[in-house]
Amino acid sequence: MHRLFARQRDKATKPNGEVDLDVLGQLVAEAYEQTDRDHRRADRSINLMVEELDQLNRALEARVSEGTVALGHREAELRTQNLRFDAALNNMSQALLMFDASARMEIVNKRYCEMYGLSPHDIKPGMTLQELLSIRKSMGMFAGDPEEYTSELRDLMTRGDSVTQYIDVPDGRTVAICNSPMPDGGWVATHEDITERRRAEEIIAHMAHHDSLTDLPNRVLFQERLADTLLNAKSGHHRLAVFYLDLDNFKAVNDTLGHPFGDELLKRVAGRLRACVHENITVARVGGDEFALILPDLADIGEAATLAQRICQAIREPYDLLGHVVVTETSIGIAVAPDNGFLPDELLKNADMALYRAKADGRGTFRFFAPEMDATIKARRALENSLREALYQGQFTLHYQPIMNLDDNRIICCEALIRWNHPQRGMVAPGEFIPIAEEMGLIVAIGEWVLRQACADAATWPNNTKVAVNLSPIQMLNARLVPVVIGALASAGLPASRLELEITESVLLQNTEATVAALYQLRSLGVRISMDDFGTGYSSLSYLRRFPFDKLKIDRCFISDLSKDDEDGLTIVRSVTALAKSLGMVTTAEGVETEEQMDLVRAVGCTEVQGYFVGRPQPLKDVSRLLVAALPPQAKSA
Amino acid sequence: MHADQLSWNVVSGWNAQGAIPDKADLILYFGAREALADGKRYRELRDMFPDAHVVGCSTGGQIRDNDVSDELAAISLSFDRTTLKIATAEAFDAASSRACGESIGAALTSNDLAGIFVLSDGLNVNGSALVAGITAMAGERVPVTGGLAGDGAQFRETLVGGDFAPRKHAVVAIGFYGHAVRIGHGNAGGWDEFGPHRRITRSAGNVLFELDGESALDLYKRYLGEEATGLPGTALLFPLRIHDPKQPERNLVRTVLAVDREKGSMTFAGDMPEGWVSQLMRGNFNRLAAGAADAARQSVAAFPQPRGSDSIAILVSCIGRRLLMGQRTVDEVEAAAGELGAAMPTLGFYSYGEISPHGSSGICQLHNQTMTVTTITEAAR
Repeated sequence: MHRLFARQRDKATKPNGEVDLDVLGQLVAEAYEQTDRDHRRADRSINLMVEELDQLNRALEARVSEGTVALGHREAELRTQNLRFDAALNNMSQALLMFDASARMEIVNKRYCEMYGLSPHDIKPGMTLQELLSIRKSMGMFAGDPEEYTSELRDLMTRGDSVTQYIDVPDGRTVAICNSPMPDGGWVATHEDITERRRAEEIIAHMAHHDSLTDLPNRVLFQERLADTLLNAKSGHHRLAVFYLDLDNFKAVNDTLGHPFGDELLKRVAGRLRACVHENITVARVGGDEFALILPDLADIGEAATLAQRICQAIREPYDLLGHVVVTETSIGIAVAPDNGFLPDELLKNADMALYRAKADGRGTFRFFAPEMDATIKARRALENSLREALYQGQFTLHYQPIMNLDDNRIICCEALIRWNHPQRGMVAPGEFIPIAEEMGLIVAIGEWVLRQACADAATWPNNTKVAVNLSPIQMLNARLVPVVIGALASAGLPASRLELEITESVLLQNTEATVAALYQLRSLGVRISMDDFGTGYSSLSYLRRFPFDKLKIDRCFISDLSKDDEDGLTIVRSVTALAKSLGMVTTAEGVETEEQMDLVRAVGCTEVQGYFVGRPQPLKDVSRLLVAALPPQAKSA
Repeated sequence: MHADQLSWNVVSGWNAQGAIPDKADLILYFGAREALADGKRYRELRDMFPDAHVVGCSTGGQIRDNDVSDELAAISLSFDRTTLKIATAEAFDAASSRACGESIGAALTSNDLAGIFVLSDGLNVNGSALVAGITAMAGERVPVTGGLAGDGAQFRETLVGGDFAPRKHAVVAIGFYGHAVRIGHGNAGGWDEFGPHRRITRSAGNVLFELDGESALDLYKRYLGEEATGLPGTALLFPLRIHDPKQPERNLVRTVLAVDREKGSMTFAGDMPEGWVSQLMRGNFNRLAAGAADAARQSVAAFPQPRGSDSIAILVSCIGRRLLMGQRTVDEVEAAAGELGAAMPTLGFYSYGEISPHGSSGICQLHNQTMTVTTITEAAR
């Protein structure tokens, strides 16, 4: 790549590595304009100089014929003049030739010989353009017919217009030739090697139509090809299929391992896609983790299904990304023309809908478009769109569920639980929208809002009551988590010791080192860390060894059926509390709904309880009222 | 000696590549006229480095390491065994330029004066006379380098500051004293002369009227064609090479600073003596870059390797080169940096005239359309 173009590309590259084609185009256009201007200057000054020197020579000759200058003197002056002329000609970066009216060459500079690898001995003033071109042709430096070219050019020159031609030299270079007629019927030709410029233009054209990361066709080229393929299919009366696919959980890879890993994964996926398909199939990257394929000539639907299956399988194989093993899957939506439409946009939309269905049906699979998909997908789309708006429209709110200390029956903490007040649908359960938010990558922003709001609310509570906030695995693995927590505490003015962060053991399943480091960092600030829902997952004790949690929250499933006759249940809770105690952790029994359950968990050594018996999740104003009273009513009656 | 690059931007103000150095003897800073005019940047540097001399000027672009930009550039220098002295003078017109130079030379001269770096108003000074004045008083053995301040392609007002906020009409010179300091210099053009020789038939000081009995301004207009509307800036595309017919080997390059269309005259950055021979020149990008490399090579010929942040190269290149080369200007800076070595801090600017000893004669004078490189370091103990 030319140095200048490499610099322009660097200048046009944004911090995220993307090339801004507008900026690049501007820089390149400006550079061409600068070069063109310089060429115009060069042409102009060469012509003027030739004219001036010519005049000087004529003046000298006139003076000699008038006998005013001695012959020796005249020759010396002429020789000097010609030497200067030669020096100027031979220092030009362009090749220059001058022809008389009979197409005989009068002047040629060194650069011309260099440009076409000609020996200066072979190129002599007096030879015709046709002879010159024949020599070049014999050396493989001219592709046309010398006679035809000469006669066409002479016609053009007699008409008196300057002509610029772009000629491809057989060795691969491109040369711009400018022929300008002179008053005496001859003309001046300048040749300039513009190969680099052509190459830059080609690279830009390629960049405008290809994705810089994977080098696959981009959305623009995909749509052009789809339109062309549809036209061919229509005239040939055959079917074609469009695949729309994306990666399941790609955002999680980006969020947990970082963008370089995400990029690497996309490159590998692109490679596998290309390897799966025949070369007449267009594979394009049409968005972040979205790819699309055009199968131009479909004999039967089964063919598309077989390919889709093969792709799903190929993508599913584990990836070794810079030492990290990553597993991902792809879901594929397929639309067929003419069955599902004959317009590019319509086909893409339908393939996209089929993709949604494939994802809803369990991912890692493919679906053909069917008209009834429309309605379900519209509903989900609507939910997604309103979810995107919800944060900015202030539709989220927090409810708080009290946690009571069993030693003194005081409410010592409240767990923040998010609620979405949808303008049309009313309250939407977190179970419905949190997974969608995680998939859409909105969870980090929502989580940040929850942290800030919870800290701000807790700052208004009496008796140093703590607030507990749940962290989703994706949020936990985000590199900005620690600064976000610090920011939330600082802007609320809440001491770190009043914040408890609850994580589930699934958090420790991936990227353990970074996670544990973040947990230690948070702990060093004074934030308390709880293990939530203990007992529901792997319940691996090794997780408890990896990080010294402050608190273990025993999942409701162990508590809700607890009675004094349930020996097994009691044994489990007893051993968990004993284990926690020996590791220096307090325990919270979740889901305590009756007084009996509270007494039982107290008897087996639990230190805290949470559940409907102590208090339901409630709006801020209610929980605040509760906290202002010295002791909660349920505890008083106990 | 130690050099630290400094940069400034609207968001975070002044930044150093490492930590802001706590000791500095000299701050050099260069920027567009608009960026320096309110004196704020000067006062910030003054506050940051209360014990340093703070010297800078307006320019036609900044050079820094491998790049050319319009952003402010600065460097802090601290010396171990070299003392510095600043001399300033006012230059109101071309006629007083020699006297101005003499006063500076007189203020700085001393037995252990090792070199002078001068920044001068770029529009109201006859640079040749200024340098001649400095040399007359400081002595011919003292190398004088530096440049004339610039104002982009506008030629309206240039500013220079030396322990005061940049202002017009100012000339500031830094004297370097002691036996430890080493000052190198190089200067080269790389332009190609073309067309006939023309004799200067009418001129007055640095104002040129006629060449071969014809209006010089008309000649330029003819060669510039449609670009003549951009005079005087576009005249930089065709510098004039001049020489005394008695000393054809000692040629100089002159550029235009102003034109007077009514009088048909052109004002050049240095003298245009009647009877001297001139020839038009034009630039080829590759040969201009090769010229810059040549200047850099000369400037470090006597410097020990390796060269790092215990040294500095100050590049002063002509605005005409930047106007001609456009985006390709970086080529010449890269070519120069290639000779200096990647670890040597470089800083500089695009100027209305360059000051450096002449390559062959060694006599300090004003150059135009050249790249000049001044290198400074201190000898090992």
